[in-house]
Amino acid sequence: MKNNATVKFVQRFRNKEAVLFLIFIGVFAFMSILSPQTFLTMRNLQSMAYQLPEFGIFAIAMMVVIVTGGINLSITFTSALASIVGGLVLATMTTAGISPTLTILAGLGVFILIALACGMVNGFVVATIGITPMLATLGTSTLFEGVCLNITKGGAISGFPDAFLWFGNTAILGIPFPMILFIVVVVVAYYLMERSSFGLKAYMIGCNPTVTAYSGVSVKKVLYGVYLFSAVLCALAGILMSSRYNSAKESYGSSYLLQSVAAAVLGGTDINGGYGKVVGTVLAVMIIQVISSGLNIFGVNRFVINVIMGGILIMVLALNLINTGKKANA
Amino acid sequence: MKLKTKLKQNREFGILGILILVSIIIALNSSAFLTVENLFDMLKGNVVLGIMSLGMLLVLLTGGIDVSVGSMVAAVTVIVGQFLMHVSGNVFLALLVGCAAGTAMGLVNGVLIAKLRIPPIVVTLGTMSIIIGLTLYWTNGTWITGLPKNFIDFGRQTIGSFYQQGDEMIGFPVQILFLVFAAILTWLILKYTLVGRGIYAMGGNRVSAERVGYNLDRITIFLYAYEGFIVGLAGVVHTSIMRQVDPNAFNGFEMQVIAAVVLGGASTLGGYGSVLGTILGVALFTVINNGLILMHIPTFWQKIVVGIVLIASIGFDVVQKRYWDSHTTKVDIEEA
Amino acid sequence: MMNSVKKIVLALVVLAAATGMVFGQAKKVTIVVMPKLVGIPYFNASEVGAKKAGVDLGINVIYTGPTTADAAEQVRMLEDLISKGVDAICVAPNDPAALSPVLKKAKAAGIKVLDWDTPADKSLVDLSIHQIDDKVYGQHNWDLLVKEMGDTGDYAVITGGLSAANLNGWIDAGLAYAKVKYPKLHLVTDKVPSDEKQQVAYQKALDLIKAYPNLKGIIGVSTPSPLGAAQAVQEKGLKAKIAVVGTALPTDSRPYLEDGSLRVATLWDPGKLGYLTVVLANDLLKGKKPVDGQDVANVGKIGVWADGKTVIMGPPSDFTKDNAKNFAF
Repeated sequence: MKNNATVKFVQRFRNKEAVLFLIFIGVFAFMSILSPQTFLTMRNLQSMAYQLPEFGIFAIAMMVVIVTGGINLSITFTSALASIVGGLVLATMTTAGISPTLTILAGLGVFILIALACGMVNGFVVATIGITPMLATLGTSTLFEGVCLNITKGGAISGFPDAFLWFGNTAILGIPFPMILFIVVVVVAYYLMERSSFGLKAYMIGCNPTVTAYSGVSVKKVLYGVYLFSAVLCALAGILMSSRYNSAKESYGSSYLLQSVAAAVLGGTDINGGYGKVVGTVLAVMIIQVISSGLNIFGVNRFVINVIMGGILIMVLALNLINTGKKANA
Repeated sequence: MKLKTKLKQNREFGILGILILVSIIIALNSSAFLTVENLFDMLKGNVVLGIMSLGMLLVLLTGGIDVSVGSMVAAVTVIVGQFLMHVSGNVFLALLVGCAAGTAMGLVNGVLIAKLRIPPIVVTLGTMSIIIGLTLYWTNGTWITGLPKNFIDFGRQTIGSFYQQGDEMIGFPVQILFLVFAAILTWLILKYTLVGRGIYAMGGNRVSAERVGYNLDRITIFLYAYEGFIVGLAGVVHTSIMRQVDPNAFNGFEMQVIAAVVLGGASTLGGYGSVLGTILGVALFTVINNGLILMHIPTFWQKIVVGIVLIASIGFDVVQKRYWDSHTTKVDIEEA
Repeated sequence: MMNSVKKIVLALVVLAAATGMVFGQAKKVTIVVMPKLVGIPYFNASEVGAKKAGVDLGINVIYTGPTTADAAEQVRMLEDLISKGVDAICVAPNDPAALSPVLKKAKAAGIKVLDWDTPADKSLVDLSIHQIDDKVYGQHNWDLLVKEMGDTGDYAVITGGLSAANLNGWIDAGLAYAKVKYPKLHLVTDKVPSDEKQQVAYQKALDLIKAYPNLKGIIGVSTPSPLGAAQAVQEKGLKAKIAVVGTALPTDSRPYLEDGSLRVATLWDPGKLGYLTVVLANDLLKGKKPVDGQDVANVGKIGVWADGKTVIMGPPSDFTKDNAKNFAF
């Protein structure tokens, strides 16, 4: 009896991702058939492969926090702050005539360090003080934005070494580097969240933090870990964006915030925590990318694209729930 | 002991204390803060936020969330604007149209959430995208200006005249009445109706609420529709203050509304929150933003200050509650 | 499972029907005009102009842009449009530096690149179409302020957003100019952001009036800012004491100009700018470069700098309560 329930449990979640996969194949085929000369070209596929990673990394950064029953509204400004301070280091060292290799190594280090500091702040307010994640990260996001503006005074940081542009603009064997980085991130996130004891604890906190604490898990430590991991992902997205846009500014990527929440829930993550798969989020990001690029190429009005995206979000979730509902009845 | 218990039981006390503290700090640094004039300005400038927070309160109480309010209120202002320009300049009819439009949109949210059993954040993220997409596709962001004179006159009415400034008499802005109305209505619903009890029950524990006999679907539909109704009210009030309609005026407004309610002590997991707390949350939000320029804080430091004050005040609230909780527990044990 | 497959197929068919209507244009010259964002009055007016030029010249004009002023979104859209294959891209960058890599890609794909409204990286564009010289326009705003409030006293600046490159350009130019030319003007605090919303500008103006009781003037930069400031001044009954000037569209600002709370507004016709952009892009595709003093139909005489790249449309129009009704944008 218990075993049977477990099987059903597993099947249900496999189906969620399978439905997403079918939808992805569907929209991809749909766009390809409608416009083989423009959509299904090497150039467009490559350009999508350049665009997807920064959004995809943000979506995973959002998902890992949602899994614990929280939300991270500071992802875009964490990324911006890391990019601005990292960018300052890159630009200053370049002007000082220090070798590009050393400059880039130092710069990348600063990106990660600053993001880690942001992650610590989030961890502190959420785990140590115990403020509701939504309000806590709204506060820290305002704070990070303020620090960004204070540094840049509203301008952009530029003047990076040319070699830095390599990260966002080069393809290895036809595969863009951002895509390679994204694949690495996906694999790491998968092992960390779904194959390690740390991940298991994170999901447990999402289901029930009190019970998790009583079963001997240090909820505080795990939450710190999750916010730090989320912050590092933001730094990686920041590196890609700074390199692709050859500059750093507080407003870059601000439109990714709500899109990341949408991608995470479209990917099947339970907004109340406890469930969410990396592969689901990745599929959701791919679906959004294909629809957005496809409709864009066809010249559909941007606001109509918004309407279509909203419709798809509701439709897919309804489909998922109808599916699972039927199984429960059967 | 009595005070301690009271502090523990009334979460509003913490937020009230912080509100007073922040107000004192601002008043010490700016003579313009504690004036009737500034009070009226703050009221008028934030009445829309206040009204919308009351609708959001009910939604948060059940553990739901509505991120579509920003797009809904934008759509309402456009509909009301078109109505005023092309059908009738009657204030009462405009209110009716606005509330009907808001309620209709809220109903869609409610039905989708209750009947399809999709999590509220997903439904409202979706409807947000759809509503704002349609609104901007329809209007292309064009402002509606030159609203009928009697509507503008209505928006400028004041209750009583307190003092003369320049060539204008300054009084109690008429828009406050709508906030008072919404607050009383929401309070009555929560305190005296079956639905109100059901809302708290549902936020506390869905399963037991259902067992006790509450019809959760009906409550859900009601409260999202009510939120829509409130948004409709807010849309008309906003239009009466601004005297024009800008379809982009509410970009990102939903987060402010949610933050104000949560700041007022409501839990995003449901079950706790009150009308008084929400009003205090909106007031704290208002006072912090008002204080920035009055205290001559440089532009590039303002966001940093807001972020820190936000975290510090809510953090203080949380820590203090935890202290009282542990303290009272200890006392109880000792007494036993 | 089968059922859900069916549902998906059905949904896709509906979607296909919905989007199918927009295809099937014949192969002719295609020019992309991309504003900083779509769905705001200023860029709507330029859309009308750009589309009209498309009809007049018998070419295909795509006017599209992001729904928020985010450079990242703009880059993504440009990449999609490069994939689509177009003949020319005219872009108003949200941030000049951010667009450089994607504009390089466009050039490598053989697409002509122009900027309009706000300059991009100069070395990358084939033409740079300015409504006006940024420096001159910034100074013009300060001149208008001084004309209304006199050259002595406290004033404040309300801007659209702290990181809007072109607004910052005008403000910096104006401030530098005021330092030398109007030394007795005193800016009370840094530029205050209005998030491009009249409601926010209104509240900030109310706070500024109370915080700085000697305030005599407000410059509103970006179209909703002067209107919010004017509304605050009007409600406080301070029309006579505080002069509000700034950049605003004449139709939206008319009520405030008429009641005197907004003394004067200044802007160019965004429709003309859109029109000029498309005409010059089309000329460029035919191998024709603009020349100084050239008379462009429906626009007027344009100026071209010695670099042969930078085009200036002409001086801005000032809108007052007497002439605002003569403008249709």
